[in-house]
Amino acid sequence: MTRDLWKHLILILGALIVIAPFYMMVSYSFKSPGEIDRGEGGFFGRQEMMVDERCVKLRDPDRDDVAAAAPRFPNQTDSQIRDALVAEAVADCQMRPIAFNYTKAFTEAPLLRYLLNGVIVTASIFLIQIVVALPAAYALAKLKFWGREAVFSLVLFCLLIPVHAIALPLYIMLAKVGLTNTYAALVVPWTISVFGIFLMRQFFMTVPDDLIDAARMDGMGEFAIVWRVMLPTAIPALLAFAIFSVVAHWNDYFWPRIVVTGNRDLFTPPLGLREFKGDGDGSFFGPMMATATVIVTPLIVAFLVAQRRFIEGITLSGMK
Amino acid sequence: MADLQIDHVTKAFGDTQVLKGISLDIADGEFVSLVGPSGCGKSTLLRIIAGLEGQTSGAIRINGQDVSGIRAADRNLSMVFQSYALYPHLTVAENISVPLKMRQLSASQRLPVIGPFIPGARNRNVEIAAAVKHAAQTLEIDNLLDRKPGQLSGGQRQRVALGRALVREPAAFLLDEPLSNLDAKLRVQTRAEIAELHRRLGATFVYVTHDQVEAMTMSSRIAVMMGGEILQCDAPDEVYNNPLDIRVAEFIGSPKINILPVEASDGALTFDNVVLPTLAPKNLSGPVRIGLRPEALRLAGEDAVLAGQVVHVENLGSEIFAQISLAGHDGRVTLRAAPEQRSSLYIGANVGLAFDGSAALLFGSDGKRIFNPHTVPAQSEVA
Repeated sequence: MTRDLWKHLILILGALIVIAPFYMMVSYSFKSPGEIDRGEGGFFGRQEMMVDERCVKLRDPDRDDVAAAAPRFPNQTDSQIRDALVAEAVADCQMRPIAFNYTKAFTEAPLLRYLLNGVIVTASIFLIQIVVALPAAYALAKLKFWGREAVFSLVLFCLLIPVHAIALPLYIMLAKVGLTNTYAALVVPWTISVFGIFLMRQFFMTVPDDLIDAARMDGMGEFAIVWRVMLPTAIPALLAFAIFSVVAHWNDYFWPRIVVTGNRDLFTPPLGLREFKGDGDGSFFGPMMATATVIVTPLIVAFLVAQRRFIEGITLSGMK
Repeated sequence: MADLQIDHVTKAFGDTQVLKGISLDIADGEFVSLVGPSGCGKSTLLRIIAGLEGQTSGAIRINGQDVSGIRAADRNLSMVFQSYALYPHLTVAENISVPLKMRQLSASQRLPVIGPFIPGARNRNVEIAAAVKHAAQTLEIDNLLDRKPGQLSGGQRQRVALGRALVREPAAFLLDEPLSNLDAKLRVQTRAEIAELHRRLGATFVYVTHDQVEAMTMSSRIAVMMGGEILQCDAPDEVYNNPLDIRVAEFIGSPKINILPVEASDGALTFDNVVLPTLAPKNLSGPVRIGLRPEALRLAGEDAVLAGQVVHVENLGSEIFAQISLAGHDGRVTLRAAPEQRSSLYIGANVGLAFDGSAALLFGSDGKRIFNPHTVPAQSEVA
């Protein structure tokens, strides 16, 4: 009993450590800058009306504004009109912190565009990775050819190469063919996933040879076997791989930062976070965390959906 | 429908010779079983016939045409696998229709989503659906067509695998131990159904099994394989009654045949200094072996030629198998007795055994059959 208690305590502690940054992120995205600075307001913040200082500053009335507003405020001095206009601006610029943070997230930077870029890049990478990895894994797992073991050793060897070690040569190659600042630069270096080949190969090893022989007897060629037999039976493994691939490339900051220089239309969501980097005019933690929350939400939703598929799985018992 | 000719086929994996020159002619409509212990090369031979594996030398002919170098799909053979090998993601109907779709639809007509709208696909798909329905009715699985293989029992999966094999009316059916994943009761039932299916279709069947009972009950001919060779290929009763090799005699028949070491001289055989009622060829001398089926032995009193003690009794209801330890011999012999003899077959009982001289099978020291003067050599072929 006490052993269980300890086990759970340790697990809960671990879970808290993992969840804490996410908790901060979501919580900050709800709060006003003052609450963030002072570290108060609990999870949701007090959600009191706050004034967007920058909005007020932008509407700071000049002489023409005062002149234009004069008919609305008869019998008042210029400075009185000015005060009234400022008060109006303050009233218009008032909003709840949560609304402030999330509208800022979408208006300050073209976040929708960044999200779209993220979808285009991760989906292209994943699809091409499958197109390359499935036939390669099938050949390595099920076909007999001279040098197969050597090729597989090379695959394993490539798993050991860290991305950062080859970033520079890759960048130079892309620059030489003039592909920097294109979608291709974001996608092409990742299309051959040795991890994908390795993972799918390990899965294909468990598919009975009889199934492949049956497909051959039924008239399928080797490529037909890959797409019509191996792909459908490999859905659970593909989902696992999809999580690795999509999460890695959706969240990747390093590579897009290198090959996308300047062209904001190609920014992926993590690059978008930089827009809120507090330069001169103070920090923008609220909108920044709201952006971060928006960026991770698709991943969390996708994982929850895929998790159900994981559990249901495709029953492979049909083969035995 | 076709006849199959296996002509001096050999297969070597590296240094290991798996098949040592197999020749076998299978006539159109015949049901031939390849039977033998595991590792005898029978499955390899079947896979070579199917085209899933290449032979090292020799030829396979279907209807007289050499198919070496023709890929499995184009040999027009169907195969049923031990594990059934159904596509787990497809329904029963889709599983059965795969061989037809791969043959009768063009690549574009097979495409997902748009395939059915390609000209001509509609009619073909209607024909295929009709063929699938017909095959399913033949095997009485038409109520399962919408299920996935995972939802089926072993017997049902086995039928689906058969359905997928027979839907395209192949030149011959190749079956690789299709019953070994079924439970004993279902195996007996399916055995009869496959034999019936063979009669109904009149097609050529090549059936691989390690179970001699399956081979005995279903086949027109049995090819007994051992060590990469066919030792004998004959009708089941011929293989049982007239085995040409001691290994065939020992493999076929359950319980196993009793083998006794005997001494031959001057046309007579002696076991432990007792002269046996079996005659031997005049010129034979030295140690040889005789084989006696359990049913060839009978309990005897005065005229007993063998004596021993009952050590184990198995009562099957309709018959009794008694294991008897013979005096002057370390092995045991098995006796098949009628239930009425139960009273004299208790453990520890001393019994005498006799047999009809013509029932004994005589084997030389090399294991080859020696035809003794009792039996007229049957016209059997040694492959």
